Amino acid sequence: MRAFGEVWRSNIFQKWVMAITGLLLFLFLIGHLSGNLLIFLGPEHMNEYGHSLRTMVHGAAIWLVRGGLLLVFVLHVWSAIRLSQRNRSARPERYAKVDSRTSTIASRSMALSGLLMLVYAIYHLAHFTWGTAHAQFYAGQKGWEYTLADGIVVPDVYRMVIASFHEPLITAVYILAMILLGLHLNHAIASAFQTLGVTNKRIVPVIRLVGPLLGIGVAIGFCSVPLSIIAGLVH
Amino acid sequence: MELNSNIPGGPLQQKWDQHRADLKLVNPANKRKYSVIVVGTGLAGASAAATLAELGYNVSAFTYHDSARRAHSIAAQGGINAAKNYQNDGDSVWRLFYDTVKGGDFRAREANVYRLAQVSTSIIDQCVAQGVPFAREYGGYLSNRSFGGAQVSRTFYARGQTGQQLLIGAYQAMMRQVGLGKVKLYNKQEMMDLIVVDGRARGIVSRDMVTGKIESYMADAVILATGGYGNVFYLSTNAKACNVTATYRAHKRGALFANPCYTQIHPTCIPQSGDYQSKLTLMSESLRNDGRIWVPKAKGDTRSPDQIPESERDYYLERKYPSFGNLSPRDIASRAAKEACDDGRGVGPGGLGVYLDFADAIKRLGQEVIADRYGNLFEMYERITGEDPYKVPMRIYPAVHYTMGGLWVDYDLMSNVPGLFVLGEANFSDHGANRLGASALMQGLADGYFVIPYTLGGYFAKGGFSTVSNDAPEARAAVTEAQNKVSTLLSINGKRSPTSFHRELGSLMWDKCGMARNEKGLTEALKRIPELRDEFWKNLTIPGTGTELNQSLELGLRVADFLEFAELMCTDALHRNESCGGHFREEYQTEDGEAKRNDDEFCYAAAWEYTGVGSKPTLHKEPLVFENVHLATRSYK
Amino acid sequence: MNLRLHIWRQAGPDATGMLKTYDVANVSEHMSFLEMLDVLNEDLISKGEIPVAFDHDCREGICGTCGMVINGRPHGPVAKTTVCQLHMRTFKDGDEIYIEPWRARAFPVMRDLVVDRGSLDRIIQKGGFVSVNTGNAQDGNTIPISKLDADRAMDAAACIGCGACVAACPNASAMLFTAAKVGHLASLPQGQAERSTRALHMVLQMDAEGFGACTNHLECEAACPKGISVEFIAQMNRDYLASAIGGRD
Repeated sequence: MRAFGEVWRSNIFQKWVMAITGLLLFLFLIGHLSGNLLIFLGPEHMNEYGHSLRTMVHGAAIWLVRGGLLLVFVLHVWSAIRLSQRNRSARPERYAKVDSRTSTIASRSMALSGLLMLVYAIYHLAHFTWGTAHAQFYAGQKGWEYTLADGIVVPDVYRMVIASFHEPLITAVYILAMILLGLHLNHAIASAFQTLGVTNKRIVPVIRLVGPLLGIGVAIGFCSVPLSIIAGLVH
Repeated sequence: MELNSNIPGGPLQQKWDQHRADLKLVNPANKRKYSVIVVGTGLAGASAAATLAELGYNVSAFTYHDSARRAHSIAAQGGINAAKNYQNDGDSVWRLFYDTVKGGDFRAREANVYRLAQVSTSIIDQCVAQGVPFAREYGGYLSNRSFGGAQVSRTFYARGQTGQQLLIGAYQAMMRQVGLGKVKLYNKQEMMDLIVVDGRARGIVSRDMVTGKIESYMADAVILATGGYGNVFYLSTNAKACNVTATYRAHKRGALFANPCYTQIHPTCIPQSGDYQSKLTLMSESLRNDGRIWVPKAKGDTRSPDQIPESERDYYLERKYPSFGNLSPRDIASRAAKEACDDGRGVGPGGLGVYLDFADAIKRLGQEVIADRYGNLFEMYERITGEDPYKVPMRIYPAVHYTMGGLWVDYDLMSNVPGLFVLGEANFSDHGANRLGASALMQGLADGYFVIPYTLGGYFAKGGFSTVSNDAPEARAAVTEAQNKVSTLLSINGKRSPTSFHRELGSLMWDKCGMARNEKGLTEALKRIPELRDEFWKNLTIPGTGTELNQSLELGLRVADFLEFAELMCTDALHRNESCGGHFREEYQTEDGEAKRNDDEFCYAAAWEYTGVGSKPTLHKEPLVFENVHLATRSYK
Repeated sequence: MNLRLHIWRQAGPDATGMLKTYDVANVSEHMSFLEMLDVLNEDLISKGEIPVAFDHDCREGICGTCGMVINGRPHGPVAKTTVCQLHMRTFKDGDEIYIEPWRARAFPVMRDLVVDRGSLDRIIQKGGFVSVNTGNAQDGNTIPISKLDADRAMDAAACIGCGACVAACPNASAMLFTAAKVGHLASLPQGQAERSTRALHMVLQMDAEGFGACTNHLECEAACPKGISVEFIAQMNRDYLASAIGGRD
């Protein structure tokens, strides 16, 4: 009988952790994106949505989700670090010349795109959640209240988003990060299903086609918000 | 010396059963006290190592490859014969036995061949159990194909990679024992000598090809499963590393070498394209079913084939053998090609090739049908030659691909040196003067899985083993001798590389002792070989040292043995004044060019005893007695 | 044609190596790549230099002995072809060709282009077999095996153990090699008894040898001279987890 640790440390197990947490994070992104897209329905819907997130199950839900997300995120990053280290040490001497056949910029830069996104995620939280990065645009500041149709006063998240994305630097960084996200997901989704062991000959080609498209689609979806704001479609 | 083949008495059908009943057994608890060295990890070696370890013996296995899975057994494409009669087409152990004896031109031992046919069925069962993915029919049952003109379908196959799959099965069985600690595997080790103590084979001297270290390894018995000697011709379908060293070294230590002149030529190989050619590639004979073989009528005609009108082509097989035409037997087709080329009418670079033309077949059947039948072969041909056989006729030429001769062994597969067993292509026992298609794999696995486990036990059970250590004077002397040989080779500092000697020897052997031989040519070869050998020892150059990975040194050591062995081969070919199977003496043929046997004088196995370098070996004859089949002239009409 | 070769030269396992440049002239387009190196070596020997060491044997594309990275691709530019079956007509006059050994921690260079692939044998040793002693077997036709299963097993079993998958993988992972054996035996009824422990043991050995992890670049499949599918990797991932969770060993 093998100790749990031995099985747990194996590359394939770590890949499973990576794939499952990755898919959970992807689901989170879908949810996040759905929320973001409410901006096109106007301030009422967006602020109402923000309020409901904060008050669901007496305010406990958001913390449960945040806790879960944090755990998933940590596991994802941790397995990424472990695997990258091993992959790097598996080839101590590099080739003088490499001519790839099937790997892509996306697949080869997963660690880099992931790392940059980690940095961005922290900044992103500091900006929109904690209000420490750009305090002048923070929804929770005095005077940025919004009164919902049912009379409840909530922070004006809608205004925060509009104001922030009028700042060119913020928008540029955001779009850059979303390009990285698209790059990351371009490889990630199909890769996760391969790791999880999907072998069905009818399904695999579909996954290999849809996975990258879905990744790019999510990135485009996120970018649609700042682009619409800059274009003046949303104000 | 009295050759005792130890063939058990009784009726043919009961010899093996009776023999197994008579063999002494080693108590299971005592098996671990016996050790055995297996040299070579091809089909025969790996299957023997695995099986002996399963029984409980301590096995040391040696291979010169980096992995035990690379032996040349892997290259066999067609399949493996077994008398299963799954096709209900009249096959039986007797029929397989009869076909093999007849195919071998009545120069094999009846009892050995019968046993081979008997155990052939167990081989298939064992391989299926190991997970060898044999081809299956839709119903889930094993598929068979017919092969080599046999009248029954008894050949089992795994796509075109049967040898590979069987070898990997045996390799895996052996690796399991390596994991269990019952087999100690030595990779990248080349056997350099046999150690004989008190008249028994008790160990080997081996060279580590990475460090150059030469050491002795001792055991209670030694098994050689080191393949054939086809590379004496330099160009053959054998893998580059195949060599005669292990068996020839054993020969120098007293083991008799039997029938070295029996070499098999395959008619449909891709011809040489230049003098840099390193080996030849075999293509399935089935191509001759639809292809027409021809050469230009005029000598030295260098026009491209499509420029040569029908009237100026010589379809020589159809002309000479109107009833068989392009499907004439292997040896006849091979020799006819050689004649045409010797006549200056060969095609392609160097004039060593004949056309195998599919134009008529494509016209008759359409390209699609031809692609369906031979697509993968056409692709392989195009990859190697760069020519599209759908448009340009293929060029083919015969090449050496198997050697029936080998160390003489008795019914127990033991050589005349007690404790030295020889399996697979390395021994001489089962194929006589010619081997049938799909029988090489069968013999290798029969020897390893189902014969040696019994007969080796019988040898051990007789007892009388003294303790022999690496310090035995015989072991130390053999190690010193091997070390000296290496340092001598390295210190010649001449001008010519080992390969250049090998090439020259090969072309000499091909000319004089190839698919057709005659007294004059063989006599010339016997004069030329010692001269070449002398030059080798005076003018060889090997860069580098003996204490590192040195591939030139490996070649040098092998070529040195080929240069001695070639003489033995020619001596045997010269003495056998008859034509039989793979040995065709031009002086002995029927009017229509068939081999003419001389059963009155040559119905024996010629086992040669070593008497010194350059000194004529002593002939020992093992008479072949045919009690169950009648000696008949092979006829293909 | 005339070519300029940049070949990795390394005197021994512990020596430092470097790319050395050689010009070879009058290369025939009909030569195989290895024959071109043979010619170079004969030339080096005649000049008293040490020839380039490279592994090779059958030169028919089946033994798996040969292997080198040519211009950044294992076995060279042609798909589903071992280097011994690669012919010089693929190249043109004046080409520069980089020739390097398989590179992986688990494949230490022994000399020049020769690497030690013993790690692959040790993976097989841990479970790449059916534990059946000689003599145990029942009749070969007792268990019918669907042609589809037999064919699938053969697809995986076609592996020649050359190590090109490892060489091609940006992570030097041996997943395709290991999965081919796991998949071969998992496709057949004879392989079921040990199916879960086999995957577990072989994967743990693969890790212990220092191979990297699979990050699904699919380079292995593209480099495999036998075209073995990464589908077998997916299957092994599943089998491994089933075994790890099943926890019987």
